This record gives sequence, C-alpha cells and structure tokens, in this order.
Amino acid sequence: MQKIIDFIIRKKDLLVFFVLFSISLGFIFNTSSLHKSKLILFTSDIANYTNENIKYFWSYLDLEKTNQRLMEENSYLKNQLQKTAKVNDLDSIVNPIFQYQIARVVSNNLSSLKNQLIINKGLKNGLKNDMGVINSKGIIGIINKTSKNYSSVMSILNIDVKINAKTKRTGHFGTLQWDGFDIKHLLLNDISENADIRIGDSIITGGMSLIFPEGINIGVVSEIIKQDKFDDTIMKFNIDNQVKIANIKFRENYLNIEVKLHSDMDNLNNVYVIESLNKEEFKNIKK
Amino acid sequence: MSNISFLILRRFIFFLLIQVFIFNNFNLFGTYDPYVCLVFILTFPIKINKITFLIISFIFGFTLDLFSDSLGLNAAACLTVAYLRSYIMSFIFGAFFDPIGLKLIKNYISESSFFQKFLYITSIITIYHFLLFTLEAFSFKFFYLIVYKTLITSVLSIIFCYTSILIMVENEK
Repeated sequence: MQKIIDFIIRKKDLLVFFVLFSISLGFIFNTSSLHKSKLILFTSDIANYTNENIKYFWSYLDLEKTNQRLMEENSYLKNQLQKTAKVNDLDSIVNPIFQYQIARVVSNNLSSLKNQLIINKGLKNGLKNDMGVINSKGIIGIINKTSKNYSSVMSILNIDVKINAKTKRTGHFGTLQWDGFDIKHLLLNDISENADIRIGDSIITGGMSLIFPEGINIGVVSEIIKQDKFDDTIMKFNIDNQVKIANIKFRENYLNIEVKLHSDMDNLNNVYVIESLNKEEFKNIKK
Repeated sequence: MSNISFLILRRFIFFLLIQVFIFNNFNLFGTYDPYVCLVFILTFPIKINKITFLIISFIFGFTLDLFSDSLGLNAAACLTVAYLRSYIMSFIFGAFFDPIGLKLIKNYISESSFFQKFLYITSIITIYHFLLFTLEAFSFKFFYLIVYKTLITSVLSIIFCYTSILIMVENEK
C-alpha cells in the first residue's frame, strides 16, 4: 500500500495529465450529447454572441462587395419573377415544396478539417437538423446542431460531408466531397468512366435527398483526374506538371472530377435556409 | 493577488482575445490561421508547479475551443504541449535548464543561441499542430492531409510566435 501511495505521489504530474486528457477526449467524442447540457449551451451562447459582434465588425470592411452581390441577386430574382408570372395559372406545378428563410452568418471557420458555420437563427425560428443552407451563388452546408437562438452548419468544406450532385449537361449522378486541401475546389466521385464529361461543365445539386432542391448551382468542372496504378494515393498532374497528392481512394472504372465552387466560402454574410415541406412524407415512403 | 499570478492572468486574457478577435479571422490562402496563443504556453513561468501549469493550460485550451466551435481539440493539444514542455526544455537547453525555475524565460531567450530558441519554439508548435489535426481527422486515411496542414500552419505560427516573443523580451528590458 505504501508503495502504491509513493508511486502516486511521485507520478502525480502524469496522473493529472491523463485525467485532464481523458476529459478532453470525452469532449471530442461526445459533442452531440454534450451540446444538450445546460452549461455548454450557456457558454457557447456567450461565445456565439461575441463571435457575432466580431463578425459584425469585419463585415463592415467588405460592405461594398456585399451590396454588389445583393444587387446582382435582386436583378436575377426580378427576371425569375417575370418568367414565373406567366406559368402561375397552372395549378399543381407551383405548389411550394421548399421554403426559404434568410439568416446571417455569425462565425465562419475555415482553418480546420471539419469546418463549421454558425448562423443567427435557431429553434425559435423553426430551424431543425438536416436543413440545407445556400446563398445566391451556390450551396454552403447542412445544419447539424440547433440551440435556441443559433444553429451550427456543417460546411461543405468538411471531410465528412457527402452531397448528391449531378452534371447539368449529361445528367450523371455522383457524390461531392472535400479533400481538405483547397477551399475553392471539391471532388466529385462515383461517375462512371463512360460518361462524356468535359472541362467547363456545370455541376448542380441532384435533388435525391430532399435537403437541397434539384438544380442549385455548385460549380464547374475544372479538372478530370486520370487514374494511376497507385492504390491508396493518387498522383495528380496539372497542366504545368505540378504533382499533388490526394488521399481519396480511387475506385476502378470511375471518374474523379475536381469541381471549382461558385461561392466564395471565405466571404459569406447572408444565406438562405431551405426547409423541405415534403420531407416526412418522403421518409415514410422510403421505409 | 501576487505579482506572478497577475502576470499569468493578464497574459491569459490578452492572448485569448488576440487569437479570437484577430488571428482566427486571418485566413491566409483561405484556410490557414496562425496560432499566436501558443506564446502563452511557450512563455509560461517555470517557477509555477507543473500541476497548476497543466490545469491552467487545459482551461486556456478549453476557452479557445468555445470560440472556435471545436470542443476539446485545443484543450487536449494545449495540455499535451504543457506536459511535454519541461522535457523538451531540458533536452534542448541541456545544462542551462534548471527545473526549479530560478531563471526566467527571458534569460532562456536572450542567453541561448539562435538555434536553441528556434528548436524550442519549432518543436512545441509542430507537436501542437500535429496533435490538433490528428485528433480532428482521427483516421490515418487522411495522413497526407494532416502532414500537409501541419507543415503550413506550423510555419505560419512559428513566424508569428517568434516575433511576438522577441517583442515581449525587448519590452521587458
């Protein structure tokens, strides 16, 4: 017994280290259950409030750009309104399936591998998990946590997020995923080798999951990656023969396409949250 | 409150604020943020006993996590770096290092060679970032990505931390 106590006294640094380390590991792997606890909710609300004010300050610096973008969007929407006014007489086609809500980005993290955004609407405004978030140029992410006033959005720049997408010209479906290197590009996998895809084709959302409506712009094909004999790693050759190493596993007989995003992920202010009104019905029939 | 705990509290708040307000919005090339807050751990007084040091750096990392929405990641990385610091110091500074803490960090920085200072800062920052990204990805499928991100973010952080430490030492003279 004496020896055990001696041992503990001698190694008390190590003991404290292991206790605190396991606490932090617990935080990392149980984030979903921890977010229900009152203390974490309270502290993260304080953090969100400060982040909101920081963002408010920084957003002044690119007010001009934001104005420009909103004006472009306004003109685009006005054009759309004119087009739909003619079709409005038809009955069932115009039944709304998706509902849009405006929100503001409070904080936008880009430096980690699993990036998250915080937006300033939450349970109070009827937001729930698995709703899509877009802006005027393209898709932004999917809501994964909601508190009373704020909700956090898994950005498309997250190595765990997979999004159903298709090419506009040929209609081939694939899954969109981030490889973690560059915030301007995503990878589109699972398109068969026979598909006739060229550089410059538009990529739009596929509409299979009811998170995003069909046909929202995502980006354009910027590069088609050739298959190599390596299994786990691939070597990618650019036009100027630069070698990049990516760690997405190659599947045989599938194309791997690099997609350049339309939306600037590092400059987000106003976003739209999409609620799908038919989601419950869709889920029921899928069972 | 004694002089030294006031100093620690002041640095705690200062580096937290500077990281959250300025350097989390840095976004060089879109994705890379320097972690200047590591200066807090690099220049933590050696006189303070190790258990207090571990607990304070855990709280420091945890507060940082709340603002960057990554619960537990920075806490684990800060804690590990804090634990390894005395071993790294005794390895790098050799006979010059005294564990009792009669010498201040200021003395280590001003009296050691450039190579020693550089190695001390580099090793702690690299370990910190490697741990941070490994815990975040948590799979060896992303090994290349982790190494790539560690390298670039470390270089950025080293530049910023080294400058701010030099400024601090100059200021105290």
